[in-house]
Amino acid sequence: MNNKLARFTLFASKINRQHVQLAFAILALAMLVLGIGAPSGGGSAGPR
Amino acid sequence: MILLLAVLVGLLVGLGRAYWCKQPYKAPSLEVIWLAVVAFLPQLFIAYMPATRQILNDGLASLSLLGSLALFFVFAWFNRRLPGMPILIFGLLLNFVVIVANGGWMPISLHTANLLTGKDVLQFVNLGSRFGEKDILLPAQNIHLEFLADRFLLPAWLPYKAAFSLGDVLISVGAFWLLARPATKLNALTTESVFE
Repeated sequence: MNNKLARFTLFASKINRQHVQLAFAILALAMLVLGIGAPSGGGSAGPR
Repeated sequence: MILLLAVLVGLLVGLGRAYWCKQPYKAPSLEVIWLAVVAFLPQLFIAYMPATRQILNDGLASLSLLGSLALFFVFAWFNRRLPGMPILIFGLLLNFVVIVANGGWMPISLHTANLLTGKDVLQFVNLGSRFGEKDILLPAQNIHLEFLADRFLLPAWLPYKAAFSLGDVLISVGAFWLLARPATKLNALTTESVFE
């Protein structure tokens, strides 16, 4: 158990903080554009 | 889909520029990210999840959409100094205005909907009914601020079809710019001077 925890800690420490920040920024931007944009896609068009 | 494409292309261009200039790519430092999540949740239920979007009646759903847009405006305003965000905010306002003017949904004319689907949409949707995720099908003469509605179509030779508004175009440009040109001190100052 301790071994697994240590391995996870080592893995987590290798994740670059900037990569995490970029992932959150992309996610927030994706939600922003999907939220404020209102295109009607051919795939989704039709009765709700 | 077309809006997410702008995000993806902006990111690729930003990464390419960083690689070309031999500098690390710096993500835009967005503030109050949690607010974007909170703002998106209502739309997830009323527009994007097929299983839940029929639960609320159209009146409550449109109110939720307007509330969500208001929260997104606050989120965007907190981040207004980032490059591209002023364009994106302008697009948001254009979409918000036309949605409010047409009863809480983005209007799409019968003509545009017919071109989009390639068939007579009246066979499966009534006029005044919801169409797609956030649209409402209306005759062109009943649409307020028709020039801000979903009236543009992607070129016919593209395999994916979509109708979009002027606001959507500005939102795409803003999102692209935000990721393609990450904030620098100079950019931040320039943007700040527009809003201060």
